[in-house]
Amino acid sequence: MLELQTKQQAKSAVKKRKGLDSEGRWGLLLVSPYLIHFLVFVVGTSVASLYFSFSDYDILNPPKWTGLDNYAKLFEDPLFYRALWNTVYFTILYVPAKTFLALLLAVALNQKLKGLKFFRMVHFLPVISSWTVIAYVADAVFNQRIGFANAFLSKLGLAPQNWLIDEFWVIPVLVLIAIWKSVGYMMIIFLAGLQGISSDMYEAASIDGANAWQKFWRVTVPMISGTTFLVVILNTIYSFQNFEQIFVMTGGSTEAGSTGGANNASLVLMLFMFRQAFSFFKMGYASAIAWVLFLILLAITLIQFKLQKKWVHYD
Amino acid sequence: MKKKRFLSVLGLIGLAAALLISGCSSQSSTQQGDKVELYMGYSSDPPTKKKMEEIIAKFEQSHPHIKIKTMTAPYDDFYQKLTTQIAAGNAPDLWQSDGTKVFGYAQRGAILDITDYVTKEISKDELNGLEFNKDSEGKYWGVPQGIQVGALFYNKDLFDKAGVPYPTADWTWDDLKAASVKLTLDANGKNADDPAFDKKSVKQYGFAFFGSSRGAFNILKAYGGGVLDPTLTKSIINSPENKKAVEWMVDGMQRKLFPNPADLKAFQSNFKAFLSGAVAMQIDIYAATTSMNGAGLNYDVAPMPKGPDGKRFAPVIANSWVINKKAEEEKVKAAKEWITYWTTSDEAQKEWTEVGEAIPVKKSVANSEMFLNPATKPENKKVFLDTLEFAGTIDTNAVFTEWVKVFTDNLAELFMDKYGTDEFITKTDQGIQKVLDDFFKKQ
Repeated sequence: MLELQTKQQAKSAVKKRKGLDSEGRWGLLLVSPYLIHFLVFVVGTSVASLYFSFSDYDILNPPKWTGLDNYAKLFEDPLFYRALWNTVYFTILYVPAKTFLALLLAVALNQKLKGLKFFRMVHFLPVISSWTVIAYVADAVFNQRIGFANAFLSKLGLAPQNWLIDEFWVIPVLVLIAIWKSVGYMMIIFLAGLQGISSDMYEAASIDGANAWQKFWRVTVPMISGTTFLVVILNTIYSFQNFEQIFVMTGGSTEAGSTGGANNASLVLMLFMFRQAFSFFKMGYASAIAWVLFLILLAITLIQFKLQKKWVHYD
Repeated sequence: MKKKRFLSVLGLIGLAAALLISGCSSQSSTQQGDKVELYMGYSSDPPTKKKMEEIIAKFEQSHPHIKIKTMTAPYDDFYQKLTTQIAAGNAPDLWQSDGTKVFGYAQRGAILDITDYVTKEISKDELNGLEFNKDSEGKYWGVPQGIQVGALFYNKDLFDKAGVPYPTADWTWDDLKAASVKLTLDANGKNADDPAFDKKSVKQYGFAFFGSSRGAFNILKAYGGGVLDPTLTKSIINSPENKKAVEWMVDGMQRKLFPNPADLKAFQSNFKAFLSGAVAMQIDIYAATTSMNGAGLNYDVAPMPKGPDGKRFAPVIANSWVINKKAEEEKVKAAKEWITYWTTSDEAQKEWTEVGEAIPVKKSVANSEMFLNPATKPENKKVFLDTLEFAGTIDTNAVFTEWVKVFTDNLAELFMDKYGTDEFITKTDQGIQKVLDDFFKKQ
């Protein structure tokens, strides 16, 4: 009897190893809508774009295999380097400034103050506004004729600037606007992280005689480093993929001086790619840009993961 | 038993997914008896959409065997959608194409060569702009749907205030500049002729130009130069005529008679400068009359000024009906019926004229009181029709957007004083030739 039972158990164990049991199958079935979507719209399109990147493809006609042509052309294209530099420059300004500001805001709004919900909401408002709306608001500040920024400069006796058309200013100004628009989102992520820190830690620190700054630097920052890591990665990816803002503010029309800024000063990789694909019918070339962009992002993210051991604490 | 049920559920889901996916790509042809369903595309805004629907309803009444299904979206979205539809093989059988895009689709093999139909069934004498969609080999790719032609728009109020006589048909580009001097005012109301004129605080400019159809292209042409040769495969930027024209423009920018790209940017959109009354003259196309009337501007139009040798040029864009190369035979037939209806029916032409979006393609309607109506602005609408005598396309070819990008980018640099005329000419010549070679050498 006992022998039989163990035999059966062994049998079912073998069965389990061979395939999924009924529960597993149902599980698979229930996620199948997602799986189908994933296979068709994520894996499928990625494979297709990889193939296109090795071909001459004008969208209207079937692609012609050209091997590494697109990549060779890309590495010789001065506009590609210009776009790459603009993107990197944007990221260098954007990620540290926004991460730090979001953390400060989160700490400030993590206090037990009156009207807290209102302030949190105010900082979140730009996040949910569309870029077109933001563009109008930004114009009120940075318009060279009627903008607030130039009015302020002239009060100080300084020369007015062509903020969004000047090669020097365009990226810093775009970064400033981008930070303003999305800092609230990162603030919320930080707030969630902050609320996970037990108040015991602060009490212990107080007993040890730490002041507010020390508490922030020695308790909050290390305790929240996991969240900071997430925020840095998200911001980097966002920065490399920024398209809508640049398109709306400096790239939409094909009129002189407004396509990717003066002397292509705000031509970022995504805008460069979009233009090749949808304005110039060069889908193969655009796909090559997409893959290079992907590889760069992958490399940066891997480096960040490697570096996290040095500063991220999980406990 | 359980297993069977599981499999059947899985099968059902698979089937549903397959249906869903195939439903996206294949278009079920719903043909009953002899009825043809014609799939038509056009770009639209709310007023043009409404008008087009009315015209379609009238067409369906008089052509009961044809049922029209439409695809429409605002301009940019429309072309993105159309391009992907062509790639997927489910594009409309017939669509209305922007005049600058016809050759882009034609030379990439997306639209039908309709030379036979045009030469046999369309009367050139009755139609405006038929020649503008003929390529250098004499093939016709589309039939005009509405004509856009450029003219010199001027703000009457600003002219009156400055005491400058209105532009006439005899004006040269130098006359225009001389008038601009008097029409350019600084913050203190001093004009550009005044020694105390402050270039740094210009409040009103004499003349504005930008982009392709409203821009430098027209001035180069009037000076005897241009951008591409007649085969549209070679850059002719490097010429003494072009140099003269470019110098004329740069001089106006430097004296602040014309706003440079940065000045224009301050108006939110290039069009707003003239619309807001901060610019006295602008090259624009007929379609602009709608927004100018909307802004309540007191304006009129004059023919484009002449070059130094009396040569004149105005841009024309013939927005056209084109037929999908992959359309089935009976749909091509139906599409041709639609085009014939559009170009010959007074009713359709008048309806379309009412939206004020384009000059009617049918000559009799264009010359009628209905279009020329002096009660609506601009009073001098006849200018547009007379202009057709000397107008030409803005060298539209398969890589039009790409070379225009090089051209306008370099012009912006020139106008912002980043480099001089000579450098502009060499740089632009090489840049444009590279774009052209990249496409045409591959063919």
